[in-house]
Amino acid sequence: MVVLRFIDKFNLQIQIMKKPIIQGLITILLFFGTWFALTQIDWMKVFKVQQVTDKTEQKLGELFWEVFKKSEKEIKNTQVVNSVDSIVTQICKANKIDRDKLKVHVLNKDEINAFALPNGHLIIYSGLILNSDNQEELAGVICHEIAHIELSHVMKKLVKEIGLSVLISMTTGNSGAEVIKETAKMLSSSAFDRSLEKEADIKAVDYLINANVNPELFADFLYKLSDSEHEATKYFTWISTHPDSKERAEYIIEYSKGKLTEYKPILSNETWDKLKAALKD
Amino acid sequence: MIHIKQFSYEPGEHEAETASSSYLMSLIAIIVGLPLPIVNLIATLIFYLGNRKSTYFVRWHCTQALLSQLSMLFINSFGFWWTISIIFTDETITSKYIAYIIAAIIFNLTEFVATIYTAIQTRKGIHVEWWFYGSLTNLICKSKS
Repeated sequence: MVVLRFIDKFNLQIQIMKKPIIQGLITILLFFGTWFALTQIDWMKVFKVQQVTDKTEQKLGELFWEVFKKSEKEIKNTQVVNSVDSIVTQICKANKIDRDKLKVHVLNKDEINAFALPNGHLIIYSGLILNSDNQEELAGVICHEIAHIELSHVMKKLVKEIGLSVLISMTTGNSGAEVIKETAKMLSSSAFDRSLEKEADIKAVDYLINANVNPELFADFLYKLSDSEHEATKYFTWISTHPDSKERAEYIIEYSKGKLTEYKPILSNETWDKLKAALKD
Repeated sequence: MIHIKQFSYEPGEHEAETASSSYLMSLIAIIVGLPLPIVNLIATLIFYLGNRKSTYFVRWHCTQALLSQLSMLFINSFGFWWTISIIFTDETITSKYIAYIIAAIIFNLTEFVATIYTAIQTRKGIHVEWWFYGSLTNLICKSKS
């Protein structure tokens, strides 16, 4: 008797509860349904988000490149341009990267440095080429910078460091020349987040292997540069901005282990020597 | 979605005014705390706590106002933190995000309109039960008699 009364009471409770539960579930479904239906529309296209982003990046790339173009001399020597271009083209071809997207510039400066600017501008200082013992070291640094470009690290860093509003005001000419100069300097002389650097290193190793370039020589380069005894320490901008070279060298070696294939140089030894000779002149 | 129903008794003038205020409370709080989705919930919660010993009609409407804010809190908080993560972290704007914000705006607007309508009706002493929130309130809020 007691049990029956309990069941009756329980059934009544269920009956009362049923309505709000069903209505609640319908409401939740309605919300997710609306959301799902709305995701079927390509809002990025409707609001031209990508177009605006691309335009901003393009304009920023031009602005920053202007800064370096004014302060440094671009090397136009055909030997230098062609040799660097061969390395970049080979890396792009092996990794299915759009070569036309990259704008490579070699600047005459003693600093051992290379960096990426927005819109695919890749700046290499002559000091880096002259201090690379072999072309694989140079290819490694180039791959690392291409990885930053391909993984959109440059714009991410800019947005994080100076904010989207300042970036947009730069492109519309509402920002002073000094701000643009300072930001360009920041891009050339400071590292990305540790995680982004590691991501770029790992990607660089993939690029190198695909292009049949030995990544261990890139790791050796980092080892070498982490050695404070090295004669050109004072010029090691690329290293001072990329901390923990030893650690980086170690995980590069670790990652490239077991991936050994047949490596072959991109440039002939003769071309590599000629490139260095042309830069020394 | 909104039903006008007969309440168990005819609410007095003062009761209708207080019940209507519970909805107005959330509207005012929306204006004040627009960027922070929690402000309107806190406002209706304070109003609810202040009136929980009031008459049945007032209690009932304070509860419905509070419950409706509670579910908006989930939708709005998620949208709020998603936006924050886009501004401050590596997260980027996607079609999914824009769709979510539009869906959230649609639901907020619906709730906004319903709140204004209910505030006007309750002021006149008319008992208005919302879809889902009404039946939920009926479960929580019981007449003392």
